[in-house]
Amino acid sequence: MNGQCNIKYKGTIVEAICLLYTVLFVYAGSSKLLGLGDFKAQLAQTGVLAPFAGWVAWFVPLVEILLAILLLTKAFRLAALYGALVLMALFTTYIAWMLRFSEHIPCSCGGVISSMGWKSHLVFNACWMVLALIGIVLMENKKSNFKNTVQ
Amino acid sequence: MKTGFVKLALPAIAILLAVGLAFATEEEPMLQVAHYYHPIEGWQTTMVDENCINGNQIPCTQDGYQLYEEPSFSSRELRKD
Repeated sequence: MNGQCNIKYKGTIVEAICLLYTVLFVYAGSSKLLGLGDFKAQLAQTGVLAPFAGWVAWFVPLVEILLAILLLTKAFRLAALYGALVLMALFTTYIAWMLRFSEHIPCSCGGVISSMGWKSHLVFNACWMVLALIGIVLMENKKSNFKNTVQ
Repeated sequence: MKTGFVKLALPAIAILLAVGLAFATEEEPMLQVAHYYHPIEGWQTTMVDENCINGNQIPCTQDGYQLYEEPSFSSRELRKD
């Protein structure tokens, strides 16, 4: 009974994390697509991404929206959480790079997220990475518990 | 039945909320063209945000080079607070 309650509780946490990520990715993705021209221009200013600015400007929001859809699909939820973690890690690396070399360039993060400073953005991303990790651990635990029960 | 509705309605509300917010918070960024002198490539152009337009304490730089309002050393050095 207690175990069942625990599983349900963990399931709700995973659902909440996926829903939060969906809101974040749909918001960030659509904001970037709405201001695609600016997004491209900002990417073109960053030395390292400048040669690929054209396709990165399309690729990033589309991946965000695809991940948001996958996060809502039970069958792909774990894979999507891994994807979200990897994407957040890439964003964090980009922010660390910008902090080191081009701090004056405004963040091309989409919507109100752009108004955050680079440093607060780093903390913001770290929190989201922790959330994705919690979701992954809970889902992996659930998977291994299910396997043990079947065996 | 009720759980099924919630499971369908919650993601739909989340997506609608996110798209609505994206439209609601869409704004024109205050960007300005800035210039810096590269010892090999000469004067280069870049973009800066409004902090570098209005500030006056910390120098705004690109790859370590001071940014200027115009492609000339006599123009205003861009700084932020």
